[in-house]
Amino acid sequence: MRKLLFLIIAVTFSTVTFRASAQDNLSPQRKQAIDSLALEKVRDLSKYISIIGDKETQWSDAQRVIERAVELFMESSEIGVSSLNRQDVNYYKVREYFDRLMQLNYSKVAIDWYKIQYVSDLERQPDGTYVGVITVYQRFQGYDKEKGLVYEDTTKKDITVYVKRKETQIGGRTIGFWDVMLGDIRVKETSK
Amino acid sequence: MLRVNYFLLFFLLPLFAISQGSIGSFSPDETVFYAQTKQMNQFFLRFNGEEDIQGNRLYPGDPGFRDLKARKGYVKMLFDQSNTSISDDTKFVFIEQALNKKNPIFLDFHGGSWFAEVSTTFLYKKEKVTIILYLELEKQNGGYKWMFSNVYFDRFESWFTHVNDTANLKFFIHPMSHELDFMNLHKVFRDPSTLDYYLKKDYNPDMMALFVMEMKNNNLSFVSVDNVKFHIFQVPGWYFEVSYFNRNEMNSGWLISNILRVTEQEKKELLQHYSRSN
Repeated sequence: MRKLLFLIIAVTFSTVTFRASAQDNLSPQRKQAIDSLALEKVRDLSKYISIIGDKETQWSDAQRVIERAVELFMESSEIGVSSLNRQDVNYYKVREYFDRLMQLNYSKVAIDWYKIQYVSDLERQPDGTYVGVITVYQRFQGYDKEKGLVYEDTTKKDITVYVKRKETQIGGRTIGFWDVMLGDIRVKETSK
Repeated sequence: MLRVNYFLLFFLLPLFAISQGSIGSFSPDETVFYAQTKQMNQFFLRFNGEEDIQGNRLYPGDPGFRDLKARKGYVKMLFDQSNTSISDDTKFVFIEQALNKKNPIFLDFHGGSWFAEVSTTFLYKKEKVTIILYLELEKQNGGYKWMFSNVYFDRFESWFTHVNDTANLKFFIHPMSHELDFMNLHKVFRDPSTLDYYLKKDYNPDMMALFVMEMKNNNLSFVSVDNVKFHIFQVPGWYFEVSYFNRNEMNSGWLISNILRVTEQEKKELLQHYSRSN
């Protein structure tokens, strides 16, 4: 609830040039405010992925983090994964993806996120929700107890972001805010 | 000189990046990722000069917004430089025409005349097959959505190879058949493989209708998306194709993989390939 209040305050008061959501285009200031919210979610996701993948994380803690991670996503979101030596894409439900990440058969896993990020424009869908894509890059390293580093890849993750105008009552006043949820993610291995 | 400047700028990109907010703290050389055209959205913005060298969105009134000189550098970098079939002359003429001072062309996400081509794998009667889907953006209720505009499946095409076969002197319904209440039709339908000989010479099959029918009859089931590219017709006198190049080079990501000078008539004909309604 505290987080929701923060979001409401941050988005409602961060810019004075607010325009109604019925317009086709968001103002650049509004877009920037929403981008920050979306990036915050992606940061949370990257943090959760690192914890879930970490072999030091206790099973019960990983389960709790998976719950938090799943909450970032719209229902029925999927993660589509392909690699350099396989053209077709494997699709996983979000929870299934995290479960698989937790169960990877390495003695140690290192997940690092590159600094670069790219945020697309937000496009309006017919139902009034805005949709955008945030691109981030991740390096994954899997270690074996005896052999050391046995697997390494860098993946490009294109993450769908949905932004919806919502309203809530605070102290008898109706306050509008932008709700940000993550959607499908396309994971592509980058060329070595 | 311009080219040298742009290469220098791309090398300096990671330095700019430090000032941006970021997801992680991992600091290897990220030059390639900065230079890479990471999304089609970025392809549009780079082509239009609506993004600065750091990848920040530029809006009307911002310094450098749609700056013609910067655009010339960007558009040059938006070509797949490993593709020797696109000559330097073609690139030069395209850039001069598309970015001329008097009437520069800007790509418009909502402007129509561009299509996605999605190469997919389906199961057709339990056999793995490749089907090409074409999609086009359509406006609805102030928003946009991708809609299927056409489909290509070689199996469907093979059903119609004998339409307008002028060498055919065997498969036809003779001109006095009407006097016999077309009683000879049962001979036509005896062998379905010859059915296309009996279709009017200008018959144009609706592949999308066949696709929908086969999907709804559960003869086709989707497996996977294999590849995506885009066909853009928004620059007068030109058609170009944009594909994704997954390679560890600065000239990577979404790049122009093919370009053709076309007349308006040729453009019209090409468009029919991507959308039946054109």
